Amino acid sequence: MFSENQSLLSRLIQNLLLIIYSIFALFPLFWMALITFKSDLQMFNTTFFFTPTLDNYKAVLIGTDYIKTFIDNVIVSGGAVLVSVIAGVPAAYALARFNFKYKEDLAFTILSFKFAPEILVILPLFMIYQKLHLYDTYLGLIWVYQLITMPLLIWVVRGYFEDISVEVEQAAELDGYPWYSVFWKILLPLIKPGLVASALLAFIFAWNSFTFSLQLSGFNIQTVTVASLRYIASDTVHYGQMAVAATIAALPEVILALLIQKHLVRGLSFGAVKG
Amino acid sequence: MANIELKNVTKSFGKKKALNDISLQVHDKEFFVLFGPAGAGKTTILKTIAGIELPEKGLVKFDGEIVNLVEPAQRNVSMVFENYALYPHISAYDNIASPMRSPLYKKDEDYIKERVMKVAALMKIDHLMDRLPARMSNGQRQRVALGRCLVREPKVFLMDEPLAHLDAKLRHFMRAELKEMQANFNTTTIYVTHDYMEALSLGDRIAVINNGQIEQLGTGDEMYYTPVNEFVARLFGEPEINIIDAEFVLDGGNKGVRLLNQIKSFDIPEDVYDALAATGKTQFHIGLRAIDLNFSFERQSEHDIHGQVYSIEPIGNKAVLNVDVNDTILRTVSPPDLNAEMDSDIFVSVNMKNAMFFDAENHELVVRHNQSQYTKAVK
Repeated sequence: MFSENQSLLSRLIQNLLLIIYSIFALFPLFWMALITFKSDLQMFNTTFFFTPTLDNYKAVLIGTDYIKTFIDNVIVSGGAVLVSVIAGVPAAYALARFNFKYKEDLAFTILSFKFAPEILVILPLFMIYQKLHLYDTYLGLIWVYQLITMPLLIWVVRGYFEDISVEVEQAAELDGYPWYSVFWKILLPLIKPGLVASALLAFIFAWNSFTFSLQLSGFNIQTVTVASLRYIASDTVHYGQMAVAATIAALPEVILALLIQKHLVRGLSFGAVKG
Repeated sequence: MANIELKNVTKSFGKKKALNDISLQVHDKEFFVLFGPAGAGKTTILKTIAGIELPEKGLVKFDGEIVNLVEPAQRNVSMVFENYALYPHISAYDNIASPMRSPLYKKDEDYIKERVMKVAALMKIDHLMDRLPARMSNGQRQRVALGRCLVREPKVFLMDEPLAHLDAKLRHFMRAELKEMQANFNTTTIYVTHDYMEALSLGDRIAVINNGQIEQLGTGDEMYYTPVNEFVARLFGEPEINIIDAEFVLDGGNKGVRLLNQIKSFDIPEDVYDALAATGKTQFHIGLRAIDLNFSFERQSEHDIHGQVYSIEPIGNKAVLNVDVNDTILRTVSPPDLNAEMDSDIFVSVNMKNAMFFDAENHELVVRHNQSQYTKAVK
């Protein structure tokens, strides 16, 4: 009896702590969502009680080309992840399976793209892009986003390939499968958790990217992170409209993360073949 | 059904030579065993035949046709891998069915089901068909892997230690089963093992591999009775063969060999004497199997070697009795219920008729009694 009481108590404390933490974590989001319904007039003199209005949504979605920037962002981020998957999976396979000179140096160089600050390379890139006419194009942004998405994908997927023993592939070959079937039927299912998780994470990083799209685009193509800045005018800041832009920008990430959170945790923490 | 031939095959991994000029021929429908210590190159030979590893030099032939450039899938071989190489994401049933679902060896699902269940019953894994490999024991995985190999009718079965992870009882059962199956299937089998009992009981012929080279190639009896060198002699038999220094004594009345600083020399058969004398050397190594050493606790003859009981290791139906003679340990077998005090006196007699003589320098076999009788048994 006593132990049951104790476990009840500990459960209570656990839940209490979790509730406090979730309030702490979710409150900014809640606050942002709240602001979207406030008019500029009530922005600073009310907290929870105000006259809700949809004016901000109207202003952002109809009054500006926010929807276009949203679509631009989907094209650029989605395209970047797609290119990373198509080019990165074979690269990861090669790094996992084949032995060639300077293999580890190459792998490290790819990883190093990830930890060099973007601001470090942005000026030369800007000038190169001007010369190559890549400035302000989808291709240009998708290309430069590879710096964000590719290293992550290659390193996670490489680990998955390394966990699969070579003999499994050889056995499939002897069973009479051509190499592309070996890849589709044997390898792809085994690397799927890692591929899905790293592709999603890469998508989120690309989606959130600010520096590259600020510097390398802006007229024809604009991403939501940059577009959100437009609501800072010279005389006033439209916090309400900015909040709408940010809320809508955050939605796809939240939805995607919720959909595959199971893969996300498993995919980044476990290898492919257990036991 | 195929003749497999390797001709001067050489293969290195980095600086290490895995196979060094290997030539061998496996006859049609033969059960051929590759036997040797770990890292000898046995698995590499199998993979070379399968086409997974490509030789740097030399030819691989199936039925006289060079297949060096034929893709593994097109060679129609079936292999059991030492680490099972099961597909982790599909069930045991699908694993075994996999070769029959490939574009190359496509069969209809009814046929597949019948074949898989037959093999599963044989392997005693029919209750595991829905399970993923991760939820099986090593022995069960190994049987699934063996099933996936046997479900097809290839030109040659390549088996890399397929029984190594089974428990002893199951291993004996499967050994008999494999032998039986091989007779029925009429298929060439190349079998890798490091267990000499498997090699002797299964192999029509055995190749002993060491350091990427073939030490000896022949039948089990040849390996056991006329090993070409001390290395091969040591590999076969449990307990390990006793190999000790022997001095060849030529002087008239006392001709024979002297062992272990004994005053009396041992008489040796005439043919052995002639062969030893022909070498012109006096220092040899003598190889004596444990069963050729008899012991008693009282002196039976003046030739008996006096020693002390060193240890007794019971191994089921017999025991290994180690006898210490002037700091040399002689291994002999005794009944399992032998009662002997440690360090008590013991007398060992030697059956010289079965002794093998090796060159003391290059460790190669010089002679044994009635040698031709053992080697002519080649089929």
